[in-house]
Amino acid sequence: MNARENTLRKDVSAALPAHVSKAAAAALSARDVTRSFGAVKAVDSVSLQLRPGEIHGLIGPNGSGKTTMLNLLCGFYPVTSGNIAIGSRDVTAATVQQRSAAGIARTFQKPRLLNSLSVLDNAMLGGWNSTRSGFLAAALATPRARRENADIRARAEEILCGVGLREVLDRPAGNLDHAEQRFLEIARSLVAQPSFLLLDEPAGGLTEHEIAQLAAVVGTVRNAGIGVLLVEHHTDFVFKICDRVTTLNLGATIKHGTPDEVRNDPEVIAVYLGA
Amino acid sequence: MKPISSSRPVLLVLSLVALVSLPFWAPDEYKIHLATLIAAYWVLIGGLNLAVGYTGLLSIGHVGLFAIGAYAFAILAGTHDVHPYVALAAAGGIGGLCGLLLGLPSLRLPGFYFAMATMAFGMIVGELSLAFDGLTGGGAGISVPAFPAPFDKPATVFWLVLSLAAIVTVMTWNVARLMFGRSLVALRDSEVAAAAVGIPFYRTKLAVYSFSGVTAGVGGAVFASLQTYITPETFVFDLGMFFFICIIIGGRGSILGPLLGTIALTALPEVAAPLAKLGQFFYGIVLLLVVLLVPEGIGSVFHLFRKQPAKTKHVVKPELELLSTALRKGAAR
Repeated sequence: MNARENTLRKDVSAALPAHVSKAAAAALSARDVTRSFGAVKAVDSVSLQLRPGEIHGLIGPNGSGKTTMLNLLCGFYPVTSGNIAIGSRDVTAATVQQRSAAGIARTFQKPRLLNSLSVLDNAMLGGWNSTRSGFLAAALATPRARRENADIRARAEEILCGVGLREVLDRPAGNLDHAEQRFLEIARSLVAQPSFLLLDEPAGGLTEHEIAQLAAVVGTVRNAGIGVLLVEHHTDFVFKICDRVTTLNLGATIKHGTPDEVRNDPEVIAVYLGA
Repeated sequence: MKPISSSRPVLLVLSLVALVSLPFWAPDEYKIHLATLIAAYWVLIGGLNLAVGYTGLLSIGHVGLFAIGAYAFAILAGTHDVHPYVALAAAGGIGGLCGLLLGLPSLRLPGFYFAMATMAFGMIVGELSLAFDGLTGGGAGISVPAFPAPFDKPATVFWLVLSLAAIVTVMTWNVARLMFGRSLVALRDSEVAAAAVGIPFYRTKLAVYSFSGVTAGVGGAVFASLQTYITPETFVFDLGMFFFICIIIGGRGSILGPLLGTIALTALPEVAAPLAKLGQFFYGIVLLLVVLLVPEGIGSVFHLFRKQPAKTKHVVKPELELLSTALRKGAAR
């Protein structure tokens, strides 16, 4: 299984970060995905495609199914019908862990961090998928286990400094303020070296200044060839940085297109943006 | 995940010297025996700490695995004349196997039900050790051989058990400081985050729980040898709670804390006679005080002496060039 996932990731990364060839690289795609909770269809036959090296916005009013869609893509909820694939590989039945190994990383609306561990330890957790040594190798601290650990530590330090947390590496994650926790979650998911990054309302609770920095970070992630799905309420932010935007209402897609097309769509204005 | 001991190498060396030389400065042989007993308990508790303190698995029935190790050693080395070291290794193997078999069905259960399953297991082992009197001597018990020379004197057997305890400590410290340890804390503190980064719940828990079975088996074997005679009464459910309480009092996610907890809870009632009279009441009071006053455990008291970073307002300042290089490195891999 690991070998197959490795080839899959190589296929994706071989085409990166050259934007010209991104259409050829594998995309994360959902086809006619439906998810019902009892009689309610939280997501109603939605299709979308997240390509490497693009930022794809997912917007819509509260309860329109944005977060449910994100949970379906990374496997926290099983789909009721439809399918989800990475390139030609069907991952509809794959677990969260298998999809994580296949290159899908995510953040949460409310940051899920290990509060008692340091910022660096939290970011390193993202490197789990590149850990091959098991319990016994760790207990005996074999050279390979230590090397893997050191590699992941180096990668995590670099990415943490990259997202702007250089000064707090040793602090317990629980002591960080809200914005720092959001950036730490993004760092943790980037340490996983994902092909796709799903962000669940990353701008929530951030100041204008912090949102600008978030935009810069997300832009850099996109330019490195990673496909970013942005579930977000902050529409100025979405329209500014997204390459494509999908609007949901009551679980169904009402408009899909470039930021300008979506922003000027009468139905989107009626149900979500307002006049 | 920096264990306190690593930040104080001098203190670590001093404590090691004090520990190893204990037979020379201990006032009497009983104190050496007591130290040996603590080390035997720690062999089990050190391994259990990875399951309880790091992974958050509420295993309160480890006394069952402890008893299995003890009886395995007594039966193999005593009844069947197997060499004690081979019997010791076999006790560890059997303990690990039983830990695995107990973990297979129960580790899929949510926390509270898992605790109940391990409790039931502890009780079942107690009843079985009574019922299989052909093997275990039933209620009358069974005598346990001592280790052969040179490990037949209080001082040398102390060093033997201390070495086992040291091996367990180093192994758990290795696990705790490497990637595997982070995955354990993730399973304890946020299963959602653990899943999102790809940590398989069941397999990871099984590995840790089997390891705690091995250490319980080895700990039970040396404990039995120290006792020279064991009966089902030796392995009452209270002993399982005692192991658990040592870890809770010591604090979760720490090695030094539970070690201090084990030393304090074993030594105090023995050293201070009035405390011994209190029996279980003493453990109850200590647990209550720690849970109410220092819920992070007595190990956390040491953090007070550590320099705290100044809590200044920090502004997130992304270094995009660096981020870009780091990400492209990943893509090239």
